[in-house]
Amino acid sequence: MQLFASRTRSAGGTQFLDPAVLGRIGNLQLLAKTVVDGFLTGLHRSPYLGFSIEFAEHRQYMPGDDIRRIDWKLWARTDRHYIKLYEADTNANFVVLLDVSRSMNYGSHSLTKLDYARYLAACLSFFSSQQRDRVGLVTFDREIVEYVRPSMKHLDTVLHVLDRADAGRRGDLAPPLLQVTELLGRKGILVIISDFYEEPDRVLNAVGPLRARGHDVIVFHVMDPAELEFPFTEPSGFEDLETNEQIPVIPTKLRDDYKRMVEAHLQALRERFTGNRIDYTLLDTSKPLDMALFQYLLARERMSKTR
Amino acid sequence: MSLTFLVPLFLLGIAGIVVPIVVHLTRRQRKNVVHFPSLMFLEKVPYQERRRRRIQHWFLLAMRALALSLLAIAFARPFMEDTTLGVGATTGPREVVVLVDQSYSMELGDQLAAAREGAQEVFGGLGPLDRASLVTFAQGARVLARSTADRARLTTAVDTVQLSSGSTRYGPALKVAQAILEESQLALGEVYLFSDFQRTGWIGDEGVRLPPGSRFVPRPTGDQELDDNFMVADVSLPRQTVSGRERVTPTARVVRRGGSEPREVTVTLELDGQAQQTQRVTLAPDAAAAVAFEPITLSRPHTRGSVSLSDDGLHADNTHHFVVSPGTSLSVLVVEGAGADRNVSFFLRNALQTTDDGRFRVTVRRASSIRPVDLEGVDAVILNDVQIDGPSAERLRAFVVTGGGVLVAVAEQGGWPASAADMLPGTIGPVQDRFQGRGGRLGHLEYAHPIFEIFAGPRSGDFTGARFFRARTIQPAQEATVLARYDDGSVALAERLIGQGKLLVWTNTLDTYWSDLALQLVYLPFVHRLAEYLGGRAEASPWFTVGQVVDLANPDALLTAGLVSSEAAGLAEGLDQIAVTPSGTTIQLPAGEGPRYLPLEEHGFYTVRPPNSEPERPFVVAVNVDLEESNLARLDPEQLSVQVTAAAGVQRDALNGDRAAALQREDQERRQSLWRWLLLGALALFIAETVLSNWVSRRDSQAAEARAG
Repeated sequence: MQLFASRTRSAGGTQFLDPAVLGRIGNLQLLAKTVVDGFLTGLHRSPYLGFSIEFAEHRQYMPGDDIRRIDWKLWARTDRHYIKLYEADTNANFVVLLDVSRSMNYGSHSLTKLDYARYLAACLSFFSSQQRDRVGLVTFDREIVEYVRPSMKHLDTVLHVLDRADAGRRGDLAPPLLQVTELLGRKGILVIISDFYEEPDRVLNAVGPLRARGHDVIVFHVMDPAELEFPFTEPSGFEDLETNEQIPVIPTKLRDDYKRMVEAHLQALRERFTGNRIDYTLLDTSKPLDMALFQYLLARERMSKTR
Repeated sequence: MSLTFLVPLFLLGIAGIVVPIVVHLTRRQRKNVVHFPSLMFLEKVPYQERRRRRIQHWFLLAMRALALSLLAIAFARPFMEDTTLGVGATTGPREVVVLVDQSYSMELGDQLAAAREGAQEVFGGLGPLDRASLVTFAQGARVLARSTADRARLTTAVDTVQLSSGSTRYGPALKVAQAILEESQLALGEVYLFSDFQRTGWIGDEGVRLPPGSRFVPRPTGDQELDDNFMVADVSLPRQTVSGRERVTPTARVVRRGGSEPREVTVTLELDGQAQQTQRVTLAPDAAAAVAFEPITLSRPHTRGSVSLSDDGLHADNTHHFVVSPGTSLSVLVVEGAGADRNVSFFLRNALQTTDDGRFRVTVRRASSIRPVDLEGVDAVILNDVQIDGPSAERLRAFVVTGGGVLVAVAEQGGWPASAADMLPGTIGPVQDRFQGRGGRLGHLEYAHPIFEIFAGPRSGDFTGARFFRARTIQPAQEATVLARYDDGSVALAERLIGQGKLLVWTNTLDTYWSDLALQLVYLPFVHRLAEYLGGRAEASPWFTVGQVVDLANPDALLTAGLVSSEAAGLAEGLDQIAVTPSGTTIQLPAGEGPRYLPLEEHGFYTVRPPNSEPERPFVVAVNVDLEESNLARLDPEQLSVQVTAAAGVQRDALNGDRAAALQREDQERRQSLWRWLLLGALALFIAETVLSNWVSRRDSQAAEARAG
């Protein structure tokens, strides 16, 4: 599958702990630290390099640039106007929007999608906290369930809320995300973790306003391998986790159609997100978290450079 | 004939056909449910919906529907109703009780064979759901087969029915039938009675009421009346002692019932199986005659005797058995005072000697002391108003402790040494006169006591005629039993049991000095009973009647049965015994605690002996039939029928309506049992459907895989 080939790419041989193994670590903070430290250790270059507040490079002054950033010392030596480029302000808002609708409670192996999403959120929050970002959290189903205001001191709270996050109700993206739009006034990095069981257009309608408010939105689409591969063989009654509706299904007769439709759905989501400059990453819960972290780092790096 | 249903409500079950259709359409497999995050994509697949809504295998559906229909119809219990049968004409599922009379009168004209044949006929006509019982009866009833549908068992049981020596009693058999019908779950009951219907077997209302809905069918086994029947009604065995040897003069009473002309019969006396004497007697119709045989000398114990007549239609009453033994007389020692009047024991002595069989050997001693030699061979001692000394009292104590009996008659001269006062049943007091009016009378007698037992019945002896003008008083001790009191409440006769024997005190004279009892008719039997009781010996019965029971563990019962042989003395001592019945059957009588009952059910001689031994003179019990059975007067079967079904008849009329019709329909349905075939059909369809659907499923799967590949 072309779609999932990229997911297995890892950074320079960095091997993360298997999600099933992570599941046995009860403490979410320990888990996040383990993952992040392991991840960073395996990188060829330190991400701190890009995120420091120190000088980064010079570039030629262009009309319109703030003259306060002109390096006068360099002008004195070279008689040319250069402005100094610094690394961005690191005290950005980092908020994880975690979908805790009941469909996230599905798992065909040792981890449910929600578990995986929680680990991911924890890792990202921990990682951001290391960067002195203000971390926050919003859990939502058809409305906001928990809201942790972004703060440099809220990592523990975020981890605690994540730890007890439970998927209990039906989900609907639009209402809670609209609320989030109103809640988060300051621009920041928004990481949305969900299974996006809604029509692509509806999804974009829900997520789009966040991007329109200037947030840097990163979307992680979490799916169980069983949702992707539909490995069922026995004719059974399939019950919707959210609606409890049940229909009889003969999987062998339906698998191809299903997979085709899922692929079309994912493709549509990717296209719509990408078209709106939203980073979209599909995550298979049976795979390590490296793809998600890399995706985050890329986005973080991209937005960190302020001109 | 039309098809109908016993329980048509079950036809609603045909509506169950929609179940497989719904299943077919929905295919909701609730047992195998997979929870899935969202059916968003599954619901969009059009394939399932189309497939679900379309019935692909009409043939399978038809098979399922047909199988369910057959199931519902089977439960509705279909049957072909035969409307030509009238209501109640059918016998329905019945509880049939067949009563077969096996009394000895059934031998007449081979009626028992006819009864057996009739019973077989009834059992042959049983329906598949009918249940039947076989009960034989004479004096009692015996259930040979109880409420069974096993016809082979019933047939075999009928073949085992034999004549008995008992007499007819309908009550017990009908009560057994009543109990069987009451316990039965079947609504219809029928009682067949095969008998010669003797009037003597039914005394009227015996409390038998067959349950409602029951039918009583009397089946007389023969219509011939026996109009001339001879029987030996009784044999008396008066004894005499001649030259120290006992002689018995058997006298038979021969009775003729019916007849038209005088007829001569031969009467034969047999002893120990050998004919001894034969006599001929001519009897007029409905007449009786006494046939006296020559006296025979009794030399050996347990001599079996029989008096028999020449054959007539009814054999059982032609022979009368008896058992006699020598040496059954009691030795009574009468002691009177040395200075007493010579006639003080006149009445007593004469009363004891006035017997027809020399039952008592009386010895009189005039002395105030009793020597040890005087008590040798003595069974009873009567101290007739004598004052004995202390040593004599002690000898009497030893005599009583070992089983002897003593009567102390205390009057004017009589007394008892104070050294042995503890032997008496009370303290003897002074003389009390009863001169007022016409003297005192005996006001209370203990009729349950063996002495007065024979006087208990009406006209069995009147003690109230005797006048008592004077008596000694006695204050009864706590251990004493008062057997007779005067009308003023004072004690006349008291008893005290000492060891194995007893000591009685009579507070009056045994002659006419203080009372006129000796002049009364009851004096002689009273004295006889007194002496027999003191001697500890009851009168032996030369024979018993069929139906009686002898307790071989009871010494008194054995005495009554005439046990005298020392060889058979082990009977009462708890040794193992066997009894051989007249028909040769052996009855085990194992030793042990408690009674050892020997039921006497056959006419003839029962021999009782230890197992694996052949004593020369074993203990023998003679058993004769009940002569009431010889009275062949007929009872109207309809009368019996009305009495036992009187209550049932009223309700049966009501039953003849709806319930009878319902029973009839149910019976028809059970006989046809169409439901079995329908169930088999449904089962076959279900199996075929399972096989076929599996095959279809496999075929479809393979086709789908081929398409996917």
